[in-house]
Formats: sequence, C-alpha cells, structure tokens
Amino acid sequence: MTTTAPKPRSISVGDELPPFELNVTSTVIVAGAIASRDFMPAHHDPTFARAQGAPDVFMNILTTNGYVARYVTDWAGPEAMLTSIKIRLGAPAVPGKPLRFTGRVAGKREADGACALEIAVRAANDLGDHATGTVTLTLPLG
Amino acid sequence: MTEAESDPVRERLEEFVGRPMGPPSVAPDPVNVPMIRHWVDALDDRNPVYLDEEAARNTRFGGLVAPPAMLQVWGMPRPKIEGIAERGGAPSDMRFENPISVLDEAGYVGTLATNSELEFVRYLRPGDRLTLSNEIESISNRKKTALGQGYFVTWVTTFRTTEGEVVGRQLFRILKFDPSTIDLSKLQVPR
Repeated sequence: MTTTAPKPRSISVGDELPPFELNVTSTVIVAGAIASRDFMPAHHDPTFARAQGAPDVFMNILTTNGYVARYVTDWAGPEAMLTSIKIRLGAPAVPGKPLRFTGRVAGKREADGACALEIAVRAANDLGDHATGTVTLTLPLG
Repeated sequence: MTEAESDPVRERLEEFVGRPMGPPSVAPDPVNVPMIRHWVDALDDRNPVYLDEEAARNTRFGGLVAPPAMLQVWGMPRPKIEGIAERGGAPSDMRFENPISVLDEAGYVGTLATNSELEFVRYLRPGDRLTLSNEIESISNRKKTALGQGYFVTWVTTFRTTEGEVVGRQLFRILKFDPSTIDLSKLQVPR
C-alpha cells in the first residue's frame, strides 16, 4: 500500500502508474482461486490443466480482476472508488512467468467535487498480454 | 444471418438471446469480513478500507467496504467437489437448458473467456445480501477464430441487494469452439 497517493489536482492525462511485477507461483494462483470460491480444477490441478491444452495451472479471472484493482488502488490510495474494471483476456497467467502490470492515465474530468479518472491497464508475461483494459475510478477533490 | 447458408445450431440458440439464463440465485453468504480477509491475504492487497475499521472510518467510505473486484466472488455458487473434474469444472449440474449446453452438445466443447466488464454502482459493506440474475445479451454467428470455428456468447449478470437495489453488473463473453476445427499451423499458444 502506497502512503503517497497522488493529489487529484496533480494528476494529468498521460501520467504513468509505477510498474508492478507479480511473481506468479502455483501458490498465488491457488490462493486466489480458493479465496474466490473457484474450485475449477484448471486453477489447482496441473494434470487437469494440461489435459485442457494449458501449459500448467492458470490464474482464474476473478483473481486477475483482483490484481488489476489492487494495482490501481495501490497507486490511487484508499480514497479511490473504482467504478468499473473492463478487461480483454489473452495469454494465461501461469507459474514461473511473472506478470508485469503497467498503467497510464488515459482520461480525467472533474465534476461534483470528484475527479473521475480512466486508467489504461496492461498485465503481460512472456506469453503475451494476459489482460488489457480500462479501470475507471473517482477520487474526492477534497 | 449474414451468411447465405443456414446454420441450424445458431438458429437453436436464438431463443436464448435477451432472455434470463436460469432463475435468479441468492449469494450463499452475505458480504462478510472473514471472506474479505481471506481474499485480501490471498492477493496481498493492503488497502486499509477493507479491514482497518479506524482507517476506513476516516475515508469517504466512513467504514469498512468489500474489495470491489470481489463482486463476482459473492455470487460464486457452493461447489459440489465430487465429480467436478468430470463436469469440466462446473460447480454443480446446470439444471436448466442454456446456450452453453446446446453448444457443448453440438461439439463446441471448448471454452475460452475473452472479456469481463465489471461495473460498480456502489461499494458493498459487510452485511449486504445479494441476489444475481443472468441474461444472455448476444450470441454471435459462427466465426472462424484462431481456435477453430465457434460462437461468442455474451451474458450480463446483475447484482442486487435482497431489497432490490442494483449494486453492480458484470458482462462476460466466452468463445465456445470446436477443438476439432483448430488449424494447428496457425496456433500461437505455446504448448
């Protein structure tokens, strides 16, 4: 958790979020799957996952959404209220292939005492783009 | 249909478009701190508004809230573990006719999730009880994709409190494909 959340008035379109690298392990994948009550065997059983054509167990979508949200709020701080997470899914997130999160402020407007931001987010590994999309949020202008 | 040839599979799917997919369901548990703690630890998400009551009270939220990305988690059905692999990972037997089972029966047994769009009307708080309703938004015509021939199926889940307040939505799109039609020479997915 960052203690240096950006001041809404100092945020500009084009600002880059600090990059974040998630060390994806079997434990990370299984922990996320079970915390999201997802017992689909592809998220904990490598034999099942390989029979489906995947290289190994792979991260479930709920966990991906969770990390995308965390990536943005780690930057935006505890006053951030997400209003949407829209992602396109691509390459699987699998053990041993770190996920690199990058983001950029793609839109900003101020209305009703709040600042509404649009963040373009990408999570990629050696296989390609795992998730790309947009997170929208508001911050109080204070 | 834009294609000149008729497509009996697609015609069978038409009856599902714009209609509810199964009956509404009730989330197994109300929004609760133990499940939030489990999630926060699993994802190492240290935003204090999820578990630190005093810190949360001093934010715009005025108290603890659930991580927004948990919206889908609250609606996850209780799984029947026995036989889950044989059901392809489905948490339980689907007891109602739906386009996915129609596509499975027609040989489009492969499933690939392509899009998720979560919208949050407000953050949830411990104690909120949710109901979910699913509606098929659209089903594409048969497409040629990198995974062979298939159909894109899109549905929208609306999350409401038991008092009827809409608190969020999720659009979900999957490709149901026929693995026997994959052109392996064009497949880029590492084995």
